Amino acid sequence: MRIKEHPVLEFKRGKMIKFNYNGRELTAYEGETVAAALHAAGIKTLRKSTEFQRHRGLFCAIGNCSSCMMEVNGVPNVKTCLTRVTEGMVVAEQRGKGDLGALY
Amino acid sequence: MIKKRAEVVVIGGGVIGCAIAYNLARLGCRDVVVLERNYLASGATGRCGAGIRQQWGTEMNCFLARESMKLFEEMNQLLAVKRDIELKQGGYLLLAFSEREMEQFEQNLRLQQSMGIPSRLVTPGEAREIVPYLNTAQVVGGAFCPTDGHANPFKVTQAYADAARKLGVKIYTFTEARDIKIAKGRIVGVDTSQGFIKTTKVVNAAGGYAGVIGRMVGIEIPVKSERHQILVTEAVEPLQQPMIISFSYNIYCQQTPEGTFMMGFGDPTEPESYNIKSSWQFLEEMARKATRLLPLLGNLRVIRQWAGLYNITPDRQPIIAHSSEVSGFYLAVGFSGHGFMIAPMTGQLIAEMILEQELTVELKLDLERFERGELILEPSVV
Repeated sequence: MRIKEHPVLEFKRGKMIKFNYNGRELTAYEGETVAAALHAAGIKTLRKSTEFQRHRGLFCAIGNCSSCMMEVNGVPNVKTCLTRVTEGMVVAEQRGKGDLGALY
Repeated sequence: MIKKRAEVVVIGGGVIGCAIAYNLARLGCRDVVVLERNYLASGATGRCGAGIRQQWGTEMNCFLARESMKLFEEMNQLLAVKRDIELKQGGYLLLAFSEREMEQFEQNLRLQQSMGIPSRLVTPGEAREIVPYLNTAQVVGGAFCPTDGHANPFKVTQAYADAARKLGVKIYTFTEARDIKIAKGRIVGVDTSQGFIKTTKVVNAAGGYAGVIGRMVGIEIPVKSERHQILVTEAVEPLQQPMIISFSYNIYCQQTPEGTFMMGFGDPTEPESYNIKSSWQFLEEMARKATRLLPLLGNLRVIRQWAGLYNITPDRQPIIAHSSEVSGFYLAVGFSGHGFMIAPMTGQLIAEMILEQELTVELKLDLERFERGELILEPSVV
């Protein structure tokens, strides 16, 4: 399923682009969010809960709930439901609460 | 119904008041009441930076801090704690920004090492080995004590309260001390919002409101209350072991065991008040200071900020004493921002004082030192 309408963001569909998810190459439309692109590719697990490692996916979709936080270009805890996907972006499931270690 | 009489009434349900009550009961005096106007640790204790430092510049402070740390280390067993007090000994890294500051560190270090506190000097390079993302551009050097650290002030207070209750101490929360009655220069009781309690001994452990309690017995305690603010970021995986602190750059910042970064600084323009509201000015200045020294933290969101009261004496050292003017009035006040870290020893010493036992350490923290002009010269205060 591809998300085309969103309560707080406007999805202006641009050209087809490529980005990286956990080492895999995926495609997306310019103008949609990272979470929307992952959803369209059938990826429902965006992170795991920090205590019991339960799967967490797109939930509030408007930047409130922390359920979609991922590591984007090395930065942890990025709200992928609000962050627009860009060409060559490196998206990865983060470790636990997020690791700043890759940034220094 | 609250008790009608008690041997000792402790005013204040912070970590100091609860530690005093527990130690009194432990040493045999179980007829003790603790009065807390709000809930336990609702004042300065629960709002503090939660650091535990042993790197001090006077023998007495080094002793109080070292012995308190020993008690923190054993607290889970000593108090049969239900929930871990979350002690983390990741060290304190003190940064010097001038040669003069570094010389002071060297002087303090000789004293600390002579007392068995395992602190050592570090170069800027060694500081970066401890905290790799530290910006040492202006740092001359530092001092590091690996056994300094952090504990959860709420859980420590609760641990003391639970242990005290088990020994028979009554703790009344949401119960305010309204007045202390005196007859012929002696305390006869405390008027509370829940009724009168007959007693001859009262301990002032009221934190930011210590001055108000002092006036109830006609004493003007030389303390003032001042707002200090803290912010906390979202949690990330463990990254920073030590508390980073600088007196001259004016900052402290550490990662809690939960993963959040907690930080604060002292605003020299802060007026005397009971104000505990948060300000946007603090948020901006704190973020600027923290990201200059620890640029990596710029990737984190702030999730919350709050404020609490420092209760400050002229020499920024506490008053842990029996009043010479009002018999039966004891003071554990004026901790000037470092009460939590010496609460275990404070509790023990006040209890010893009340029970007229020999004190574990000779204290010079009486109320009259200010009049005599014998202030304590402690160089290592934030």
